[in-house]
Amino acid sequence: MIADTLNPSLSRAAPDPVVDADNVVRRYGAFTAVDGVTLRVERGECVALLGPNGAGKTTLSRMIGAVAPRDGGGLRVFGLDPWADQTRVKSRIGWVMQQDALDEDLDAAENLLVWADLHGLTVERARARSAEVVKLLGLDGREGSRPAALSGGYRRRLAIARALLAEPEFLILDEPTTGLDSQVRHALWDVLRRLRDGGLTILVTTHYMEEAARIADRVVILHQGKLVAEGAPGELVRRHLRRYVLEVRADEAPDPARIGCPASDVRRHGDRALVFHDDESVLRAAVSQCAFGTAIVRPSSLEDVFLDLTGSSLGG
Amino acid sequence: MGDAFGAVREPPSASRRVAAIWRRHAKVYGRSFWTNATPAVLEPLFMLASVGIGVGAHVAQTFNGLSYAAFMAPGILATASMFTAAFEATYGTYFRMKYQSTYEGILASPATVRDVVIAELLWCASKGVLYATIVGIVLALMGYVTTPWALLIPVFGFFNALATAGLGLLMTSRLKNIDSLQVFFTLVVNPMVLLSGFLFPVAQLPGPVPAFAMSLPMFHAVETFRLLSVGPDHVSETWFWACPVALVAWAFVLAFVGGRAFERRVLSER
Repeated sequence: MIADTLNPSLSRAAPDPVVDADNVVRRYGAFTAVDGVTLRVERGECVALLGPNGAGKTTLSRMIGAVAPRDGGGLRVFGLDPWADQTRVKSRIGWVMQQDALDEDLDAAENLLVWADLHGLTVERARARSAEVVKLLGLDGREGSRPAALSGGYRRRLAIARALLAEPEFLILDEPTTGLDSQVRHALWDVLRRLRDGGLTILVTTHYMEEAARIADRVVILHQGKLVAEGAPGELVRRHLRRYVLEVRADEAPDPARIGCPASDVRRHGDRALVFHDDESVLRAAVSQCAFGTAIVRPSSLEDVFLDLTGSSLGG
Repeated sequence: MGDAFGAVREPPSASRRVAAIWRRHAKVYGRSFWTNATPAVLEPLFMLASVGIGVGAHVAQTFNGLSYAAFMAPGILATASMFTAAFEATYGTYFRMKYQSTYEGILASPATVRDVVIAELLWCASKGVLYATIVGIVLALMGYVTTPWALLIPVFGFFNALATAGLGLLMTSRLKNIDSLQVFFTLVVNPMVLLSGFLFPVAQLPGPVPAFAMSLPMFHAVETFRLLSVGPDHVSETWFWACPVALVAWAFVLAFVGGRAFERRVLSER
């Protein structure tokens, strides 16, 4: 690290990743929450950790974000061990915790100023940055409200404003839109896309396939503590599945020979059967030939990839 | 923004982080300062009126030349600075840890668990300074504080509250359920007050009880505040100087032990 500080041109020539995780493990008693995940997050990248509740995405993000220890494996954030060197690492991270973790005893403006104080900002700098993030997140007029008096959307905005206050190089958001209505969700996605386009490195955990697809450059699918797939959202779908899917009730699953596809492209998950095919018109023809009770033809999605890889639904 | 390895800004120092957390607590306390400070002034007055003057009217005996009211009044400095820290280090910290996400939020910043613990101890001790000062002024106005030694009352308010905060954090570090704090106050805090020599000289108690009572930090606190309020002439002569020293020693030991235990508790949940 000293060498790189002395010679910044060297590290610019060979940019190191913001996150470099090698076989990271975290256990809670007999339960292994994160079971050997290897992952890199490059500078300027927006990565989504996608998985159902209990997949290990919160635990993994907390280890990366220097707020929880790990039980095994190598982990470097900004080239440092995040738990051992947590002050240095956290001073460069903007954290948006699950359930916001706002200070309920303080109003919105005080939440921001205390955060600035914790980061060692001068009072003048804290005031200037507070005004900037209040404007950026559209919190004008709510500075005097306590978190409990804010709607879910504005609480989350305040949590993001606080995370951005000390000019982080790396933003971590743990389920940023869980529990918010779709309008608020879209507004927050806009904010995150703008930050990503501004060059901020972002790690976001989510169990919403749509969220991952809309904001992430790269999606990492976690299942039972393991990384099961990763790639750009579209690429993941193309790599794992045919382009289109016909969805019918399981008891109406068509004969693959009749459609003209291999048997492996017809899959049953619970009470549904999915028929995958690269040609949408073939699936449409099957719909008009067979008298399905209910049938939908649609492009294959990340949700299907997840189902295919894990055999379980992403859920809500 | 710098490159991946060159820090853009030096991270805040440990003292800066602790100060920021302390200022956070002070800001929250300051919001309702009068609600908090009014009982601090009234409580000693009630104690003095009911026990010191009320019960004292039936006590003919003097205590090292002091009337009963003058004997018990300095003990209020000890109980006031002790109780504020006892509540803050138990209910206050448990709420911040469990029911509100205060620590969760602070620990997402550059602050460490150790910073949080040190700030809690210093905050409790600071409240001890505040309460000892307020009660000291009230007692002085009523004529129960009579020596220049009294200028040291805030200092020992700090150490008395620090000792109590250590004990409180030790309790909180074991706590599974907030209702158990009742047990702490009933079985630890209140007996310590009753055995402190605040309302009567502990030497009159039977058997090994005085020796036990005299080993507790509250006894040292009461004797120390009596010394600082009315001077060495009115304190059990042989070892009056030992009590302030013992109180400071207790403060460091309990703050260290309680602080470490509480740090481990907070870390165990991360």
